[in-house]
Amino acid sequence: MNEVCFKNLDKENPASFATYEANGGYKVWRKILNRELTPDEIISELKTSGLRGRGGAGFPTGLKWSFMPRNQEGQKYVVCNSDEGEPGTCHDRDILRYNPHSVIEGMAIAGFVMNATVGYNYIRGEFMEPYYLFEEALKDAYEAGLLGKNLHGSFVSFDLYTHLGAGAYICGEETALLESLEGKKGQPRFKPPFPANVGLYGKPTTINNTETFASVPEILSRGGQWFADLGVENSGGTKCFSVTGSVKHPANFEVPMGTPFSKLLELAGGLKEGRTLKAVIPGGSSTPVLTAEASMNMTMDYDSIANAGSMLGAGSVIVMDDTTCMVKSLTRLAHFYYDESCGQCTPCREGTGWLYRMLQRILDGNGKEEDLDLLLSVSEKINGNTICALGEAAAAPVESFIKHFRDEFEYYIKNGKSIVEDEHNLIEEVSSV
Amino acid sequence: MSEIEIEIDGNLVKANQGDSIINIADREGIDVPRFCYHKKLSVAANCRMCLVDVEGVPKAQPACSTPAANGMKIHTKNDKAKFAQKAVMEFLLINHPLDCPICDQGGECELQDVAMEYGSDVSKFNEGKRIVPDKGIGALIQTDMTRCIHCTRCVRFGAEVAGIVEMGETGRGEGVKIEPFLTEGIQSELSGNMIDVCPVGALTSKPFRYEARTWQMNAVQSVARHDLVGSNIYTQSYRGKVKRVVARDNDSINETWISDRDRFSYEGLNHESRALKPKVKIDGQWQEADWQEALKFATDGIKSNAKSPEQLGVLASKYASLEEFYLLQKLARKYGSENIDFRLDQAQLSNGSSLESTITLSEIESIDHALIVGSYTRLEQPMINHRIRKAALNGASVNTINSKKFDFNFKTGLDVLTAPQKLIPMLQSVLKSIHNKTNKDAPSFLSKVSPEDIHNKIADDLIDSSNGVIVLGEHLNSNSDSIAITSLIDQIASAADLKIANITLSGNSLSAEKVCFMPNGKGMSATSMLNESTKAFLLMDVDCEYDFFDSKSAQDCFNKEDVFVIALSSFESQSLLSCADVILPMASFYETSGTHINFDNQAQSFSASVKSPGDSKPGWKIIKVMADLLDLEGFDYIDSTQVREEALQSSKIKSSFDDLGHESFDDSQIMTHWQYAPYATDNVTRRAAALKESNIGMINSAFVSEVTAKKLGLNDDDLYFGVPVSIEDSVAEDYVFVHTNQARKA
Repeated sequence: MNEVCFKNLDKENPASFATYEANGGYKVWRKILNRELTPDEIISELKTSGLRGRGGAGFPTGLKWSFMPRNQEGQKYVVCNSDEGEPGTCHDRDILRYNPHSVIEGMAIAGFVMNATVGYNYIRGEFMEPYYLFEEALKDAYEAGLLGKNLHGSFVSFDLYTHLGAGAYICGEETALLESLEGKKGQPRFKPPFPANVGLYGKPTTINNTETFASVPEILSRGGQWFADLGVENSGGTKCFSVTGSVKHPANFEVPMGTPFSKLLELAGGLKEGRTLKAVIPGGSSTPVLTAEASMNMTMDYDSIANAGSMLGAGSVIVMDDTTCMVKSLTRLAHFYYDESCGQCTPCREGTGWLYRMLQRILDGNGKEEDLDLLLSVSEKINGNTICALGEAAAAPVESFIKHFRDEFEYYIKNGKSIVEDEHNLIEEVSSV
Repeated sequence: MSEIEIEIDGNLVKANQGDSIINIADREGIDVPRFCYHKKLSVAANCRMCLVDVEGVPKAQPACSTPAANGMKIHTKNDKAKFAQKAVMEFLLINHPLDCPICDQGGECELQDVAMEYGSDVSKFNEGKRIVPDKGIGALIQTDMTRCIHCTRCVRFGAEVAGIVEMGETGRGEGVKIEPFLTEGIQSELSGNMIDVCPVGALTSKPFRYEARTWQMNAVQSVARHDLVGSNIYTQSYRGKVKRVVARDNDSINETWISDRDRFSYEGLNHESRALKPKVKIDGQWQEADWQEALKFATDGIKSNAKSPEQLGVLASKYASLEEFYLLQKLARKYGSENIDFRLDQAQLSNGSSLESTITLSEIESIDHALIVGSYTRLEQPMINHRIRKAALNGASVNTINSKKFDFNFKTGLDVLTAPQKLIPMLQSVLKSIHNKTNKDAPSFLSKVSPEDIHNKIADDLIDSSNGVIVLGEHLNSNSDSIAITSLIDQIASAADLKIANITLSGNSLSAEKVCFMPNGKGMSATSMLNESTKAFLLMDVDCEYDFFDSKSAQDCFNKEDVFVIALSSFESQSLLSCADVILPMASFYETSGTHINFDNQAQSFSASVKSPGDSKPGWKIIKVMADLLDLEGFDYIDSTQVREEALQSSKIKSSFDDLGHESFDDSQIMTHWQYAPYATDNVTRRAAALKESNIGMINSAFVSEVTAKKLGLNDDDLYFGVPVSIEDSVAEDYVFVHTNQARKA
C-alpha cells in the first residue's frame, strides 16, 4: 500500500523538498537536465507502465503524450487538472498536501516530452490549504534551480504557475478548465478540435490529472515494468481510492489495481457497527451505483468494475448501508448536477432541472406511477447529446439507481415515504435536501 | 483544401476537407434543424438541435461543429438522429412559455417551425416553468427573456459583428440568462440585427410590438436610402402602412445585416406632420386646395416670379430618388435655369462631381490598411464601417485623422486629433513625407512644408500597405477648405498607391451626381442662389431648418416678400409652413418606385411598398405635371421605368478640385462643426419615434476641449447654439464639435 503517490506519507514532513529529494525525488528530472533521457524513452516507458489517466476517463497516458505535436512551432502548454470536485473524492487534495513535488516533477517531465515551456496547475477553488502548500513547494523547486528558464545551462525551460479556481464543478472538465484558466466563464468547449491541437490560448496543450502527473516520476525512476507489475492486466500500477460513506474509517488508500473491493472495505475499517452493505458507487457520483453483491465480487481495476456494470472513474468509493434511502440519495445527487450544470447546452441545462424536480416531487410525497419511466426517458435523452460528459454523469445515477432499486422508488411513490424509514423505523428528516 | 467524398442521407457528395456537415447539408438542400448555428456567426454547438448520426461514432454529433472527413457516412434523418433531435426539441420546449398567440415572433418563429416537425403534441413536463425577469435593453428591442432558448446568437452577433460586448450570458445552469451587462441598454448602430438573428420571440422589434401578425403583412422587396450602401430590405406592411423593415440578404451589399437607421426609420412615415393635402398660401393664410388649383398656383407663381428663367432655383435633399432628381433637373433646364443643387449642407462647393471612390464594398474587407479622415464611420456609414471592421479583425491597421476621438468598434493605431482648419497643413505634411520617402520630387506648393514625426508615421503606414484605402468622411462637408483637402487626399492616394473611399456623400447623392443635379458651368450653386436674384424656388424634400449649411440665410431668403417658394414635401414642418407658398404633398420612402445608386455604383430599383397617405402623390408624377403646366416638352412619361432608363443614360460631370493655392482658409478662428447625429439626417428618420428615444438618437452635445471652452467662456452643460456643452479632452483645440439631433439655433 501507498507505494507511488503516497510513498512519503509515513516520513516526517512528507511535503517538504528535503523529504522528497531524500527519497529519490527529482532524480528523473535531473537526468533529463543532464541529457540522459529522451522524450521517446519516456513515452515508451509510460506505455510499458500501463498508466491510464486518473481523472476518470482512463485514457492511456503514454499514448496521450505521444499524440502531442511536440515539433510544432510556437508555444505549447502543460496543464494539471487539480480541480478535484467529484463528490466522494479527495485523494488529489492529499497528493497536493503530502507530495506536491511529485506533481511538479511530473509536470516538468511532461513539459520536456511535449516541448512545452509553461505549465499551469489549476487547483480547486476550495483547496486553500493545498494551494498554499503547493505554492510553497513551487518556491522551493525554483530555489533549487529545478524550474525556470535554461535550467542548468541546458536546453530545457519550464515555468510552472498555480491557478486557484472559483468553485465550479464543471471546471474539472478539461476544456471548461482551459476556459476558466483563460479568464472566461467555465464552460466546456465542443470537440473537435481537441486540446492536444487547440488548447490553452489556442495552443497545443496536454492536460492530465494530479495523480497521473504524481505517478510519472516514480514510474520513470523504477521502470514501467515495475509499475505495470504492481497492478493487473489493462490496469497497471496502483490507484488512490477515497473510501467514504458508511465505513468506520473513511480515508484515502493507495492500493494496487486489482485489489478486491472487500479488501478495500476492510482497510477502511469495514461497515459501521450493525449495518449491512446495500450499495456501492465505485468511481464517484457520476458512475453507476452497484448492488452489494456485485460490489463484493469485484476487484478494483478498470475491467472488473466495468464488468460489474460501473466505472473506476476517479476512484471515489461511496459505501451505502441498509439505512440509506435510495430515493433521497438520488435526489441529492440529481440536485448536485442540476446545480453544477453550466447551462450552455440544452439537454443538460433543461434536463438536469427536470430530473431533480421530478425526484424532489417524489420525495415530497407527490410522485406518480409514470414518473419512474419518465425519469428514465429524460435520462436517456440527455445521455450522449451534450457538449461534455456532465450530461452522462447526471443520467448515470438515475438509470442505475432505478435499475437496481426500483422497488424502493415504487414504494416511495405509493406510500409517500421511504421503505427504509418504515423498515428501520428511523426518525429522519426526509423532505429536506 | 483537399476534396473529399462523403455520404449524406444516401447521397454521395463532394466536399472540402474540414467543411462542417451542416454546410454540406445546406448546400445539398438537406434540411437539418438548428437554432444556434448562423452562417455569419461563429459556431457555438450549444443548442444541440442539429445532432446527426455519423456512422461509427457512438453518440450523435452536432452537424454545425463536426468537420466532414473522407468516407464519412452521415444520416440526418435515421432513428438515432431523429431521437436526438426530438429529445433536444422536448428539452427546449419544457421551459418555453408557448405563448405563441401573443408573441410577435409567431408565424416566423424558428422554434415554432421546427417544433411542427420535431415536437410532440402533448408535453410530459409537469413541473413549474421558468420565468425570467426582463431588464429592458432600450427603445428599439423588446425583450421577453422567458422565451429565450439560450442559443447565444445575439451575444455572438454583438461580440463578433457589432463589436460590442454588451449582451452576455450570465449565471449558470438553469439560471443562465441572456442580458446586457450594463443597464443602459444596447448602444449599437446595428443593434436591430439581434432581432433578426433571434430564432424565437425573446428579442422582437419594440416599435412593432402588437402592431400586426407576421402572416397578415405584405412583404415587398425594397432598398434603404439612408446611406451610401443601399441595404436590401423587405418592407412589411399591413392595411397600407409600413409596420416593419427587415434585412434582405445580399452578400455583396449588406450581407444579412442592416443598420438601425434603415430598420426603424419607417416609423417617421406615420408621423402626424405628414403633408396630406395640397396647400396654398394666400395673403399669408394657408388654405387647402385640390391638386389642380395647387399646381396651377405653383406654376403661375414660377411664371410670374421667375420672369427670366435664371431667376428660378431648384433644390432637393440628397434622399430623393434617381427619377425625381432627373425630372427635376430636366424641368429646370428646359425652363432655362442652371440653378440646380442638392449639396445643401456643404460649406464649399466644387464645380464638379465629388471625388470618385475606387474601391467596392466587398473589396474593403480585404484591405490591409485604412486612413480615415474626417469621419465617425460607425455612425455615419454603419455598413461601410462594418466592412472596415472585418478588415481590421483580419489584421488591417487603421489610422484616423479626426477632430474628435471617436469610439470605433475596431482597434485603431494612430488617432490624430486635428481641428478642421488645420487639416490642410496636416495633409500637406503627410503628402510631403510620402514624397520624401519614395524619393519623388514634391510639387512646389509643398516646398515650405516640413513633416514631423507623426506625419512620417502616417506616411509610413500608407506606403507600407500593399492594399490600403484612404477614407474621406462626411465631416469634410462643413469644412470651408474642402476642395483643397479633397485635392490633397487625391494626391496622397496616387502618391502612395491607395484606393479611395469617398463617403462624404450620403443618401442617394450618387444618383444626384449621375443626372448632374448641380449647376453645370454658369448656374448658381446651393449657396450662391440664396441671394437677391433668385425669385422662385422649387424645393423637393427640403427642410429649411435642418438641411442647409447656413439655414438662417436660407430661411431669410425664402421668407422674403418677393420670393415664391414651392415645396414638394412629405412633411409640413413649422419652418416650411413659414417659408413656402405652396406645399405639394409628396410620397415618401417606400411609397413610390425609384432607384438608388450605391457606393459600388449599382443602380438598385425598387417599387412602391404602400400607397402614399392622403392625397400625396409620387414626386416624379408631380414634377411631370408641373412641367406640362409650364408648357415644357419631353415629359410624356407613362411610368417611372421610362424615366429611369432615360436618367441612366446621363453622364455625370467630371470631378473638379481647383488648386486654391493650398492655403488654409483661416486657422486663427475657433471653428464650429455642426454634425447631425445619425437619426437626425433626413426628414423621415428625424420623425421616427423609437430611434429618437434610443441612446444614439439622443446624442446631443457640443464637445469642446478645456482650453477652448475657456476661450469661449463655456462651462459644462451651458447651451452652445442650443446644444449642451460637454468639456472633454478628446477634442481638437480651437474647435467645437456639435454632435446633435437638433437644428442649429441662431
